Amino acid sequence: MTSTAEGDQIPGRATGGCPVIHLDASPPLEAGSHWAKANELRETSPAFFNTHAQGYWVFTRYDQVREMYQHPEIFSSESITPWEPEPVYRFVPTQIDPPEHSKYRQLVSRWFAPNAVQRVAPQAHEIAQRLVADLAARGGCDFVSDFAMRLPTEIFLTIIGVPGSDADLFVPWVEDFFAGFGGDLDQQQAMGAALGGIRQYWVDVLEARRGEAEPRENDLASLLMHSVVDGEPLGDVLTLDILTVLVLAGLDTTRGQLGYLFRHLADHPEDRQRLSAEPELIPSAVEESLRLYTIIFGDGRKVTEDTDFHGCPLRKGDMVYGLVSGANRDPRVYDRADEFVIDRKANNHLGFAGGPHRCLGSHLARMIMQVAVEEWLKVIPDFQVATDEPLMERGGGAMLALFTLPLSWDVRS
Amino acid sequence: MRLTVESGRCRGHGLCYSLAPDLLEDDDDEGYVSVRGQVIDVPEDQVGHARNAAGSCPERAIELIEN
Repeated sequence: MTSTAEGDQIPGRATGGCPVIHLDASPPLEAGSHWAKANELRETSPAFFNTHAQGYWVFTRYDQVREMYQHPEIFSSESITPWEPEPVYRFVPTQIDPPEHSKYRQLVSRWFAPNAVQRVAPQAHEIAQRLVADLAARGGCDFVSDFAMRLPTEIFLTIIGVPGSDADLFVPWVEDFFAGFGGDLDQQQAMGAALGGIRQYWVDVLEARRGEAEPRENDLASLLMHSVVDGEPLGDVLTLDILTVLVLAGLDTTRGQLGYLFRHLADHPEDRQRLSAEPELIPSAVEESLRLYTIIFGDGRKVTEDTDFHGCPLRKGDMVYGLVSGANRDPRVYDRADEFVIDRKANNHLGFAGGPHRCLGSHLARMIMQVAVEEWLKVIPDFQVATDEPLMERGGGAMLALFTLPLSWDVRS
Repeated sequence: MRLTVESGRCRGHGLCYSLAPDLLEDDDDEGYVSVRGQVIDVPEDQVGHARNAAGSCPERAIELIEN
């Protein structure tokens, strides 16, 4: 990632003295580079104006990013991609602002509430045990494609009531979608085809449930077909939107986060041993990986009114980019901010965002990650990264993710 | 010590009741903490958990009131 300082002046644009940069975060880089860049930006200035695309503001520190999340009346989710202020798509409920937002979010939120997630935890353990058992005898794998993508996909499909084995379909679709979503123009056709595949899957699911008098039990698609918003049935279009968004928001993200967590464990035998000996630390280790290895380089919002924000003269229609990766390592908030503290207390990271759009799937994601660590370490307590080549990560245009993570281990006879 | 959760701020992150399960619980529905808008007493043996819960809230919705 290259960024060039451009002083503090742009013709025709008041920046309130904010430094001006040109930063395109979308190219792939060596793993960890995006967090290093976020650190550098945060310690240089709390805010920048970035001349990338149409130009947008960048907030780098914890307090400002949290404030952005907590004020949807100023920072709208109409667009969440700072270089795309007028998106042609509209993710529901991701891109709906309060007060409308909660009507749609409530349709799905209880499916991903802590109690609902705990109900599927036994099945999640079974899925993880099966995947780990299949891999253990091989002595090595690409963790990203062989486990990190597969596990959340099977668990997610199970929780919403379609066959977990349909992961065979969803894994390549999600891969293809996000290959294009990060901005790689060569991947646009595959991205479109993947999106078409996902939508058609849900179209078929809806057709199979059409005309049923009562919603099926433990079946999210069926429940949505029977849902009512403002006295009107939700309808096929919104139902398809919501189901598609859940797939896109839930699977690639967990894959990305798991990859970084397991790279850390591969590189840190002392942390592996500690978690094997003290599994009650697994939840805090998962939280710490969400903080230190956040996959959200930044999150975009659209400004609804002319306002001064900590000295930045924001104008209605401007885009802003809250650098979550900078916030989560802000030394103003965290001791030893750049270290993995396995039992960290008071870990109030923004890895799941904040405010009304707090990640709907956060409870599920936590459970999946905890199950992954627990079941993996039981069977494969020691493992290492099996390459001398630098690991590469997808750019910050979508969510950060390791492309591959080759691991190896001794096979127990 | 007493503890209060500002109801408009809680967004259901769920960290507080997982870190202080003997003090706080979820609302059994969407994952919000159940005591929003109330002031509760923190027993002596829960003070550490209460501090961790308050410090972990990304919304800074939990206020601790020292006696």
